[in-house]
Amino acid sequence: MAQDRPGEVSRKTFLGIVTGGIVAAIGAVVGATGLAYFASPAFKSESEDWVDIGPASAIKHGVPTKVDFTQRRRDAWDVIEQRSSAWVVTSNGADFTAFDPRCTHLGCPYRWDADKKEFLCPCHGGVFNEQGQVVAGPPPRPLDRYFVKVEKGRLLIRPLVKRAIA
Amino acid sequence: MSASNDGGPRGWLYERTGVDRVWDALFARKVPEAQGWVSWLYTLGSATLFVFVLQAVTGTLLAMNYVPSPDHAYDSVRYINTSVVMGHYLRGLHHWGASAMVVLVGLHMLRTYFMGAYKYPREGTWMIGVLLLVVVIGFGFTGYLLPWDQKAYWATMVGTNIAGQTPFIGPYLKKIFRGGPEMGAATMTRFYALHVLVLPAIVGALIMGHLFLVVWHGISEPPTRAADADAEKEPGR
Ligand code: HEM
Ligand code: FES
Repeated sequence: MAQDRPGEVSRKTFLGIVTGGIVAAIGAVVGATGLAYFASPAFKSESEDWVDIGPASAIKHGVPTKVDFTQRRRDAWDVIEQRSSAWVVTSNGADFTAFDPRCTHLGCPYRWDADKKEFLCPCHGGVFNEQGQVVAGPPPRPLDRYFVKVEKGRLLIRPLVKRAIA
Repeated sequence: MSASNDGGPRGWLYERTGVDRVWDALFARKVPEAQGWVSWLYTLGSATLFVFVLQAVTGTLLAMNYVPSPDHAYDSVRYINTSVVMGHYLRGLHHWGASAMVVLVGLHMLRTYFMGAYKYPREGTWMIGVLLLVVVIGFGFTGYLLPWDQKAYWATMVGTNIAGQTPFIGPYLKKIFRGGPEMGAATMTRFYALHVLVLPAIVGALIMGHLFLVVWHGISEPPTRAADADAEKEPGR
């Protein structure tokens, strides 16, 4: 490469700098665009949708009830119908709790034992009480809960969002 | 030129890989001197190469949200346009880049033709160029179907019908293009595989061959008028 005289920039060096600058500018625009596109899922928030799962009066006081429901929701460009369920518990018909129907150990579906008044998991013998607390077995934490509310006598839950145990 | 006696990490790398010599061969090679606007014509091949790289980058990103199936293609493209950050812009780049690619390849071909750059010893560069032209058009044809809108559907209908007019083998060609007797799901997956797997592999190999020959032969001199050339040969005249 031709050596520049001190205090002077040769035509070649100048063109090299200009070319490098243009390359850097194009690279920055395309790079930033591509990065934003690639990372855009990070800026998406969880679905806020409340799902109507039936009349609140259908839940007997003190008897955990498994409610099956079909949820229509957007899955990116698709709209899917997803069947899922929740165990709903109320002691007074006003305050409701909705449990994720999967055991917190390894995800098996548990059932309510009306005689023992406990949730029993068939897979590894996990036991939870009516409040979802672990009574026995390997589950590491209480049953997961969904947000739930009553509006005009209908039970609404948000099945995609887990609620932290208060 | 070689910096292999440079003590730093650069020298270490150069000594072991020779990338400095590769760099020099590609970017510090001698090119003929051309005057005025004519010199810009020599940039058309590089411009094509640039747009090709842009198509590869934007296409890869589009593939992250695109589904090649009749029941999802249109919605997934709309999703890119409306719900993905910078998706509309990125798709725009790929869309306009596709047209720019065809225009630039055409202009580049015209420049090498009218300057006689295809002549001995550069016939190989020209022949690979002809294959590149076919592949670029193939990219355009297969890509046009993918949004699965009315334009895409009918353009591919027409295109495959034209293939069907080929004597003797036409009906078979048409079915091969369509992946069956009718246009549908199998047409889309077929076009998609060609567009993102087959054609990129082919074009990559062809571009490497093309560029190797360009560097190997060096760029041809701009043509001169016969009278000037004669004058050069016989300086006394
Ligand atoms: C993907 C498509 C293509 C790319 C990326 C490409 C790239 C290039 C580049 C970077 C050069 C050197 C700079 C220049 O002369 O412009 C070149 C030279 C050349 N190209 Fe292409 N090219 C493509 C398609 C074609 C086509 C379609 C033809 C003709 C059928 C062609 C024929 C030639 C010839 C003959 C040369 C030698 C020019 C000379 O030595 O003066 N290329 N190409
Ligand atoms: S999955 Fe329920 S106890 Fe293991």
